[in-house]
Amino acid sequence: MDNVIFILSTLLTVAGAISVIVTKNVMHACVYLLTCLLGVAGLYVTLGADFVAATQLAVYVGGVVILMVFAVMLTGGPKSQTSNKFGIVKIPMMGNAKTYIIGILSSVIFVLMAYRVLHRVIAGYQAGELPALTETVEKIGFMLVTDHVLAFEMSSVLLLGALIGAAIVARPRRGA
Amino acid sequence: MNNTIVSYLSQYESYKGLLQTFSDVFGQAGPGLLTFIIFLISCILVVTILATIGGLGTYAERKISADMQARMGPNRVGPYGLLQFLADGVKMFMKEDIMPSTADKFIFSLAPLLALTGVFGTLAVLPFSSGFTLTNLDVGVFYLIGIGSLVGVAVFLGGYASNSKWSMLGGMRGASQIISYEIPVVLSIMAIVLMSGSLNFVGLVSAQGGLPQEWFIFHNPFTFIGFFVFFIGALAETNRAPFDLPEAESELVSGYHTEYSGMRFAFFALAEYVEIFVVCGVGAAAFLGGYNVPLHLGGEGIIGQILQVLIFFGKTLALYYLVIMVRWTYPRLRVDQLMTLCWKYLTPMAIFNLIGCALWIYLLDGQSMWDMLAGFVGSMGTGGGH
Repeated sequence: MDNVIFILSTLLTVAGAISVIVTKNVMHACVYLLTCLLGVAGLYVTLGADFVAATQLAVYVGGVVILMVFAVMLTGGPKSQTSNKFGIVKIPMMGNAKTYIIGILSSVIFVLMAYRVLHRVIAGYQAGELPALTETVEKIGFMLVTDHVLAFEMSSVLLLGALIGAAIVARPRRGA
Repeated sequence: MNNTIVSYLSQYESYKGLLQTFSDVFGQAGPGLLTFIIFLISCILVVTILATIGGLGTYAERKISADMQARMGPNRVGPYGLLQFLADGVKMFMKEDIMPSTADKFIFSLAPLLALTGVFGTLAVLPFSSGFTLTNLDVGVFYLIGIGSLVGVAVFLGGYASNSKWSMLGGMRGASQIISYEIPVVLSIMAIVLMSGSLNFVGLVSAQGGLPQEWFIFHNPFTFIGFFVFFIGALAETNRAPFDLPEAESELVSGYHTEYSGMRFAFFALAEYVEIFVVCGVGAAAFLGGYNVPLHLGGEGIIGQILQVLIFFGKTLALYYLVIMVRWTYPRLRVDQLMTLCWKYLTPMAIFNLIGCALWIYLLDGQSMWDMLAGFVGSMGTGGGH
């Protein structure tokens, strides 16, 4: 029975992925991507990783695909001003020299600080013992707040940065 | 690992006999085939019953609204007009299947199917009773949220593919509304998951009892507020009035399904009415004690199971009635009011409830208000005796 599910999911994944590349319509590509992602969720199920499969559904099917379709529809076609007189398409920089320097410096300082704090912990790391857990959800939850708490916190900082960035992009412009 | 309807049935002697017969006839493939057939039968059963409830939902909607507006409502087809939804179905079949010439044909025909897939996919984990749950996934709540979000994609794609201004506006409104209101709804369910310590629906329900003071809604003040946050968010997620902006008859003709006719329109309508049932079922399971029968009457036997199914459907249909009543009572919100309500009121309240529930569990050992009250009254009584 597992084989049937595996073959179906694989077919969905591969067919969806190929169609994404082949199709010329961006909206159709989004829909094909949806089937591809559903197929990947099916593959996770056959691997017994039901939590990851449900996450795949909730995050990609519910979130990412809708956002992609939104982005495709709201951004519209290319504007004529983006290419200069030589016909070269100009890509706007995401900031200026000052923001880049500040960003690089702060990331270097952050990495050094994190290394200073963490290198002793990492050197003396011993894998803790898990209590006997049956569900994958419990295992994942336990690992997230014990062994992998650093990765967990880092990703939450990353998401906070994304939120602040979204708020800055969406805020009303001064004087506009 | 996961409990399914098959693992429930396997405790009965007749199932073992059936398994023996299948193994004799089909050899190695017997057990797998039997499992498949049982799943097939129960899935067809659930989908048929739920589709009928969805159809009767349209009847109930008209009858209740007629009652509230001092009209008669449908009363010609069948007794009390009960078969009106069948007549509607026949009419839908007979209608010409119109597709706008400028529509995106592939997505146009895919969108209604996606809506139905998303809604019927959620039925797999809905806890009808302790035995009759199609599959009791460990991550049932999470799965339901994930597969249910297909409806949002379908609404949006349907609006886009129709290539009409009304549909487009309806689809955009629908997608933004569904994405936004998912947050307070999920956070309110999260508080309940925290209380019960389980992501599967049977664990959620069995952490409650049959009587109202054992339900999660009356467990502590935070869950009480949480239920209303959940209910308001659920109304918006199913595009029901006062949040029916994606359809908004008076502004957008019929919103995202303006250009749909015949069976494709029927799919959208059916998906909407079944989704209301699913959302009400989740509310009943998470907050209102689910299939727990008072006085421990529900149990393993056939009669206990039937009682459990009845009480689950009773609670769910009571919520369903409330949803219909709300629709015919309140005026529609504006788009900005809708977003203000979600982001400035419901989401902070849901986060507050989540933290409140966590603190309640941490500080008070997860006792319910009634336990504490009973303990307090008990100590008063003994104190008075001395």
